[in-house]
Amino acid sequence: MKGASLKVEHLSKIYPDGTVALRDVSFEVAPGQFVVIIGLSGSGKSTLMRCINRLIEPTSGKVYIDDIDITALSVAEMRRLRRSIGMIFQQFNLVKRSSVLTNVLSGRLGYLPPWWSLINHFPRDEVDRAMANLRRVGIPEKARTRADQLSGGQQQRVGIARALMQEPRLILADEPVASLDPATSHSVLRYLEELNKKDGITVLCALHFLSLARRYGSRILALKAGQLVYQGVPADIDERRFKEIYGEDAVEVEIT
Amino acid sequence: MTPEVAPARATVLQPRPWFASTKFLLLVFGLLAVYAYGWRVTKIDLPELLKGTKFVRPFVVDLVRPDVVSRDVQIQEVQLGMSVNAAVAPEDVAPPASGPQLSVPTRVTAVGAQLQVTGRGFRPNGSGTLFWVNPIGNPQQVGTFHTDATGAFAVTITVPEVFRGPESGPRGAQQRLLARVTWETGPLRPSKTLLLVGEKIIETVFLALMGTTIAIVAAIPLSFLGAKNLTAKNPLGTTIYFFTRTFFNVTRSIEPLILAIVFTVWVGLGPFAGVLALALHSVAVLGKLYSEQIESIDPGPIEAIAATGASPLQVVRYAVVPQIVPPFIAFTIYRWDTNVRMSTVIGFVGGGGVGFILQQYINLLQYRQAATAVWAITLVVAALDYLSAVVRERVV
Ligand SMILES: Nc1ncnc2c1ncn2[C@@H]1O[C@H](COP(=O)(O)OP(=O)(O)OP(=O)(O)O)[C@@H](O)[C@H]1O
Ligand SMILES: [Mg+2]
Repeated sequence: MKGASLKVEHLSKIYPDGTVALRDVSFEVAPGQFVVIIGLSGSGKSTLMRCINRLIEPTSGKVYIDDIDITALSVAEMRRLRRSIGMIFQQFNLVKRSSVLTNVLSGRLGYLPPWWSLINHFPRDEVDRAMANLRRVGIPEKARTRADQLSGGQQQRVGIARALMQEPRLILADEPVASLDPATSHSVLRYLEELNKKDGITVLCALHFLSLARRYGSRILALKAGQLVYQGVPADIDERRFKEIYGEDAVEVEIT
Repeated sequence: MTPEVAPARATVLQPRPWFASTKFLLLVFGLLAVYAYGWRVTKIDLPELLKGTKFVRPFVVDLVRPDVVSRDVQIQEVQLGMSVNAAVAPEDVAPPASGPQLSVPTRVTAVGAQLQVTGRGFRPNGSGTLFWVNPIGNPQQVGTFHTDATGAFAVTITVPEVFRGPESGPRGAQQRLLARVTWETGPLRPSKTLLLVGEKIIETVFLALMGTTIAIVAAIPLSFLGAKNLTAKNPLGTTIYFFTRTFFNVTRSIEPLILAIVFTVWVGLGPFAGVLALALHSVAVLGKLYSEQIESIDPGPIEAIAATGASPLQVVRYAVVPQIVPPFIAFTIYRWDTNVRMSTVIGFVGGGGVGFILQQYINLLQYRQAATAVWAITLVVAALDYLSAVVRERVV
């Protein structure tokens, strides 16, 4: 299965309190690309990600996934479509009191008969799939551990395994490494890179550090105050562009 | 190293020392007034603590020897018909010839007379009591005795002033002299008091359990209404939220003891009133705790599970339930534990449970029995305290 294509057209989001978080954003992502979104805090990265799977309803504009206009889907249809969009969060968003295995399995809920899953019953093959995904992110031995007993890097890997349970064709990663140290950041991003390269999953990933964006992104989008101010290949971001995106006083920090 | 010398301070602005400032003196004066009034109004009387020791001593002494075990009691009784009216003959209640015998110089005597009572054939080396029994069967103790090695005794009694029988009949006859020797035999067994206290303690624990259970059933739905993040989304919701929270706060502030009094008036004395009182108070306490728990859940996992394409019900099951159920259980067990403690006093106002008999024992000055109840309460409360701590630690 190959990755999904994504097309965003004139997307705007105005929050009920009047905050304009996105202003007429348009771009396209080809299947199998690894696109990095950069931008200052508050520039609208999270809002953009959530408009793509409609956790937030866009105010206007259209989003196409594989040429399906998702802004026109009913709630039930949207739920079905969400199964093929994995999401990874800065704060991992695991259910802390549940076991790692339950957290991973919960990524599969959209595919399961609703009544069985309510009593915490998962078919044998789903448990096997969950274990396989845990092996893929290198922590099969943690399956029975409570999620809050894992380190940050391990929790994010559980987050990736949960997304993998969806057999996604698109992964939205909202600052997946912002609360991790540099070494762990690389290890987590390498897992995403592998999913992108091996499985061909399209990845849209918000990152804070330009060095990480250059290292992992095949394309870079830059947001500033809700507007798309730059898109291009990593190599093209020079001193001038950098100052445009991050402001005159910004100094680039290397993360290795 | 040279010590740093503080620069000389300007003498003009030298403030008064803190203990001489007007504010401080006013504060001291105010506090003195408050405590002086408090001392008077609460009638604090320390010498009374010393003077009262003689009243409390029997209770404290009995506290260390609660009534918990007893043996079977064997009784030997012999009666003799007597008369205090020379005109009327006493009845004949001849004891069986083989058993112990009681004899007096004369069976017709007068009130206030000295009477030499002798007995034989009783249990050797036992101790017993002599009673004077009036025509309607009320015994009055008139003496005690110890039997010798052959089972005999002799003791002098004074014939008491007693009820002589109805006006119409032959008054003054139908009196009886009763000698009773008792002794304990057989193995130690739980005493009647212990059994009764045990039964009442179980009633207490279940009273708390029922009260807590009713409270849980009512508090869970109410707590959702009282959670700001769920309910207060529109004006109607805000109103509901406000009313629920106000109900919680007002009800919580009424002591269960007062509620118990109200309910004993409503449904009568007994454990049901206690159950209702605890239930109502606990609804408010648990409702508030539950609501606060719901308000503090992490929205992250909810968003994450919703993003996987799960249905709303699945989101509740996998993202909300795991976050609120363990703390709910912990609060609830703690509440039950608190309710057991409360239900021991609820009995004092007639709400059932062990408090009811404890109060009776104290009123009847049966301190050894009271001690049994006090110890039972202490043990059960401590045990539940420990148990609830262990369970809560496991759950959270
Ligand atoms: N629920 C909301 N209601 C109102 N305003 C919001 C809401 N969520 C976000 N905003 C505002 O929208 C703008 C964009 O926020 P967003 O979270 O998308 O930025 P971001 O680029 O993800 O920032 P960060 O790097 O800090 O995560 C900000 O000004 C923010 O204050
Ligand atoms: Mg964000």
